[in-house]
Amino acid sequence: MQQSRLGSVLILLAVALLWPTVGSAVGGDEPETPTTTTGAAGVQAYEGTLTEAGEPVEGVTIRVETLEGEEVGAVESGADGRWNVPITVPGRYRVTIDTDTLPDGVDLTDADATTFETDVFPGRPTVVLFALGEAVGTGGPNDLERLAQSTTNGLKFGLIIAMAAIGLSLIFATTGLINFAHGELVTLGAVIAWFLNARGPRWPLVIAGLLSVAICGLFGGVLERTVWRPLRARQVGLFQLFVITIGLSLIIRHVLLIWFGGQRRGYLDYRIQTQWELGPVSITPRDLAIMALSALILVGVATILQRTRMGKATRAVADNVDLSEASGIDVQRVILVVWIAGAALAAIGGIFLGAIESVDWQMGTRLLLLMFAAVILGGLGTAYGAMVGGIIVGLVTEISTIWAPSALKLVFALGAMVLALLVRPQGILGRAERIG
Amino acid sequence: MTATPLVEARDLVAGYVPGVDILRGCTLELHDGEIVGVIGPNGAGKSTLIKAMFGLLAARSGTVHFRGEDITFSTPHRLVAKGIGYVPQVANVFPTLTVNENLEMGTYLRPREFRKRVEAVDALFPRIGERRKQRAGSLSGGERQMLAMARALMMDPQVLFLDEPSAGLSPVFQDQVFDRVREINAGGVAIVMVEQNARRCLEIADRGYVLDQGRNAHTGGGRDLLHDPKVIELYLGTLAQAD
Repeated sequence: MQQSRLGSVLILLAVALLWPTVGSAVGGDEPETPTTTTGAAGVQAYEGTLTEAGEPVEGVTIRVETLEGEEVGAVESGADGRWNVPITVPGRYRVTIDTDTLPDGVDLTDADATTFETDVFPGRPTVVLFALGEAVGTGGPNDLERLAQSTTNGLKFGLIIAMAAIGLSLIFATTGLINFAHGELVTLGAVIAWFLNARGPRWPLVIAGLLSVAICGLFGGVLERTVWRPLRARQVGLFQLFVITIGLSLIIRHVLLIWFGGQRRGYLDYRIQTQWELGPVSITPRDLAIMALSALILVGVATILQRTRMGKATRAVADNVDLSEASGIDVQRVILVVWIAGAALAAIGGIFLGAIESVDWQMGTRLLLLMFAAVILGGLGTAYGAMVGGIIVGLVTEISTIWAPSALKLVFALGAMVLALLVRPQGILGRAERIG
Repeated sequence: MTATPLVEARDLVAGYVPGVDILRGCTLELHDGEIVGVIGPNGAGKSTLIKAMFGLLAARSGTVHFRGEDITFSTPHRLVAKGIGYVPQVANVFPTLTVNENLEMGTYLRPREFRKRVEAVDALFPRIGERRKQRAGSLSGGERQMLAMARALMMDPQVLFLDEPSAGLSPVFQDQVFDRVREINAGGVAIVMVEQNARRCLEIADRGYVLDQGRNAHTGGGRDLLHDPKVIELYLGTLAQAD
């Protein structure tokens, strides 16, 4: 027993030590251009695969030269799009793609990125990526046009964030609860609408969407009545409640994963649309309608909060729960309404986002951080703050993509939040209270 | 005095933290047209008594009756509908709402009566009437206390619970508060007033309760307590004797 265990440990050790050799041997067996198996001098090489829209691109010449301009090797990409230029002396070289050999209709996405200077290290290949696809560099929009387009996209995205974040803010304001599962309400709205539109009864998206919003509102109300109200009545601490929302978020998300699957899906309606060119901005009628509807809904929510009895009561409860009770307001009922309306608004956000992009089981989770940024930026606990914050976050994330890699979008959103808080610690619309 | 008190709290036990009772069997009666003052040292349970009576804090034992009806476990908003008003000591206005909206919240249960009531309340607190469009959060402490009382009066209550209405106010505003309390009472509202300012409170109170460590220590007429040597020694200080 003892010996066999020792034996397996030794075997593992041997495998671990030999791994690089094993790896390179396997690498040599892979179908590559025949010139690569030079063997003796080592396996260092420049290599890559040329594809456009998932299809391999064959017959494109790649040249490698020293920094002094002396050619070291040239090769054409194979039928699988792969290319490999072996290098005898490790060091720094210049790798160039010959754009003249590109097939018709295939361009570099960045027309200037024809040459890379990189190092090749002993014993292993260095991968060089040439991104092929639609050219965006030349003949594309100028900075001002890109700004106009990004602003439009940002506004579109921001309106959706704003709508979804209202509930997050008002739930916090009226109950103190930080609802980590708010993103899942967004996903749920999109997924239920998708089911009614594309899978189950195949109703038009408008009807499927309205029904989904109703179902999600009801779900929010049921959550409040069966989970949050009883827990509040038992005086469970806010931190404990916060952790429960994390659990709830995981449960809903994974139930959706099982039911809906991990892939991205789209609605059947409003899928393919011709872009309208409005000056420098191009936008689909669908997206324009979504922006108009979102704006209308936000104005509607603001009007309700400002003018109606229930709206004023909601603001009162957000200000001071005990005083609301002492004024005759049924606080628990107001909280129930906030949950129903908040969940319904999140669902609308999800459906709109699903129509613009696609529906997947994590879409709300990805939105959550932006919603938090929006709520805090705008002023924690005020619905108007969530609206303003949402729109700012949307604009900042999209406009940042003009100059910065879009992977850094979130960083810019959170950066904007930090910056705003440095200037106004209470948030843009949060109000510092007079003391005394 | 009528046979059944307007409000009657009997042997109330209550507290905030499980296992720690702040009130340890307090009793209080309020009759029609009365001002009742509740005084006592810090931590005696004065504010706790008023919160337990108003349903903001669940009673652990004991009962509260309003006109003979058991209201021990009623929620505050139901008590407001029955005709009881309450003004907290701190956080007594809605800061992000305008003064007007604060008053509207006062008639939340009977929005139709807003116009009529707001005139009556404006007459009592002219200073609030001038600031109707202003956010309540921008008012001074004294103005807030006035607005808080105005809001509580919007429902035309029969009973008003006031939690330390003069706390933290300048002497001028304190005078105004006690004057208003008397005026409100003259209008037929029975008042329970918890006060740190024991002497001023007892001066206008018909009867007073002295609480100590969550229990009734002394009970009597306002003026009588003011001159009771024991109360003076324990709670009013020697300055009172000089008067």
